[in-house]
Amino acid sequence: MTTATPAIEINQLKKYYGKIEAVKGISMSVERGEIFGFLGPNGAGKTTTIRCMLNLIYPTSGSIRILSMDAQSDAINLHKHLGYLPGDVRLPGDMTGKQVIDYFSRLQGLEPVLLNPLVEMFDVEMKRPIKSYSKGMRQKIGIVLAFMCDPDVLLLDEPTSGLDPLLQKTFNQFLLDEQARGKTIFMSSHIMSDVEKVCHRVAVIRKGELVTVETVEALREKAGQRVTVEFGDSVAPEELARIPGVSMVQQHNAQYQFNISGSMDALIKALSRHNVVRLNAEEAPLEEVFLKFYEEPEKTTVETR
Amino acid sequence: MATTTVTIPQNLPAPKKRAHFIAIAMRMLANGKLPVAYGAFYAVLLAIIVGLIYPTISKLNFDAYVSSSILTGILGAKVQHISGYTTLVAVELYSALYGLIFGGIIGYLAGAAIPATAENGTLDLALARPVSRTRYYLETWLGTFLAAVLISVLTIIAVWIGSLFVSNPNIDWKWLLITQVIEFAFLFMSTGLGLLFGSFIDASRTAGGIVVGILFLFYMMNTIGGISDKLNWMLKIEPFYYTQGIQALVAHDITGWYPWVLVVAGLVFGLIGLVIFNKRDLPTT
Repeated sequence: MTTATPAIEINQLKKYYGKIEAVKGISMSVERGEIFGFLGPNGAGKTTTIRCMLNLIYPTSGSIRILSMDAQSDAINLHKHLGYLPGDVRLPGDMTGKQVIDYFSRLQGLEPVLLNPLVEMFDVEMKRPIKSYSKGMRQKIGIVLAFMCDPDVLLLDEPTSGLDPLLQKTFNQFLLDEQARGKTIFMSSHIMSDVEKVCHRVAVIRKGELVTVETVEALREKAGQRVTVEFGDSVAPEELARIPGVSMVQQHNAQYQFNISGSMDALIKALSRHNVVRLNAEEAPLEEVFLKFYEEPEKTTVETR
Repeated sequence: MATTTVTIPQNLPAPKKRAHFIAIAMRMLANGKLPVAYGAFYAVLLAIIVGLIYPTISKLNFDAYVSSSILTGILGAKVQHISGYTTLVAVELYSALYGLIFGGIIGYLAGAAIPATAENGTLDLALARPVSRTRYYLETWLGTFLAAVLISVLTIIAVWIGSLFVSNPNIDWKWLLITQVIEFAFLFMSTGLGLLFGSFIDASRTAGGIVVGILFLFYMMNTIGGISDKLNWMLKIEPFYYTQGIQALVAHDITGWYPWVLVVAGLVFGLIGLVIFNKRDLPTT
């Protein structure tokens, strides 16, 4: 194992279920010590990709290497270094949190060295039977199960699902701390705000195809500015939509909202021809860029309310 | 509420290794404790009832009862040597009904074992760890095997408890043990059959239910197959024919290779299931 090779390498991964093409030949790599976001709407192929990485389902073609080990032929050795959090944490209702942790620690073949800090950090209930747990409590046990044996690579399928905002914040900080300890984290989500706080790069998957792999910073640049302008005279939304860099124009009476990427010069010149009552510009939410990737390619985005 | 600030040290020592032992098998056994308990309860209850009713039934025309053709069909064997309490135990506990009831319990348990872990989410979590599918499957099989051993031991204890109610039970314990081994071979066949269906059916109740249904079909073949020589072929392709519980306990006579047919069948079923389990995509239920 050399440190130069990426932690995760996915090459032309395809997964078909009969005629259904769940994943259509995706390729990407994740560097060691990176927190990588894997974004896409429900049914895009995120969980299928993660399950292929874990050898729970077999790829139709393509290859996956994690820590330079083949995810299919060398799965047992590889799994000694992996932590996994499923998208829907379901556990036997008759077991207590403590029993579940003991069971999976045995299967991992390692002592749960991080158990105490994790239990303290996430305030995990250990004594009650799982059947009395809420979704959030089960999610917390799932997080403990993924991290407790201190694995090198973590595959997290929608990890913040079911966590309250305070716990989400704790979890995000924990991920950054784990990254500082050299861990590689691959996390899927369908919510951009979940990943933008912690991830360096994100991949977006839609209908089984990889739409983009970019740094969060590049996405921010693409998102550009969110501009709100109120006119004293009549302005057609199409006029604004024609300005270079302007997208996602929305009208509400005399007020317009739109995104602009790149230089604002053309916009300022266009606005100068009108009676501008109010003007506000702020960083555009990343969610909107992300939603654009989700949509069918290049739709005209002029909405009038 | 997670308000505590906890820091994980940078130079955390590597986790110590921990023995796996047979955690999956023991977990499977724990999952199956309820059906096994039902089986044990049934065995103890039946043995005690047999012990309690024997003094009364022995005064009736017992020989005619056990050798009637209708009962022969139900029991799956003709009782030729009638010898008191032992015969009653054989008829009530070790007839084809043993396979139907206890084989059904073990078959259901084995059939539901793997799909149940897919349903409760532990299958994914277990196989995401350094546990091969072969190991997971074989340990699950071991769990059902241990459940079958447990039921067999409890049946013998139940017979012993029942015999305490009879003044002179006159049971040949060596042959009782042989009888139990023969019945265990049937239970083993049921484990293999169950695991085979559990290897490709995703719903636990469906998988377990199908196995019970198949065992019942075999039982029907056993009862119908004895009616006429023309239907004799039916007997030879179902497992009850190779389970000579009554013959062993009452007549002290068995065909030595018959239990091996059941063991081999169980192994073949189980190993086919193993191949299927290794080849398939696991469900996301």
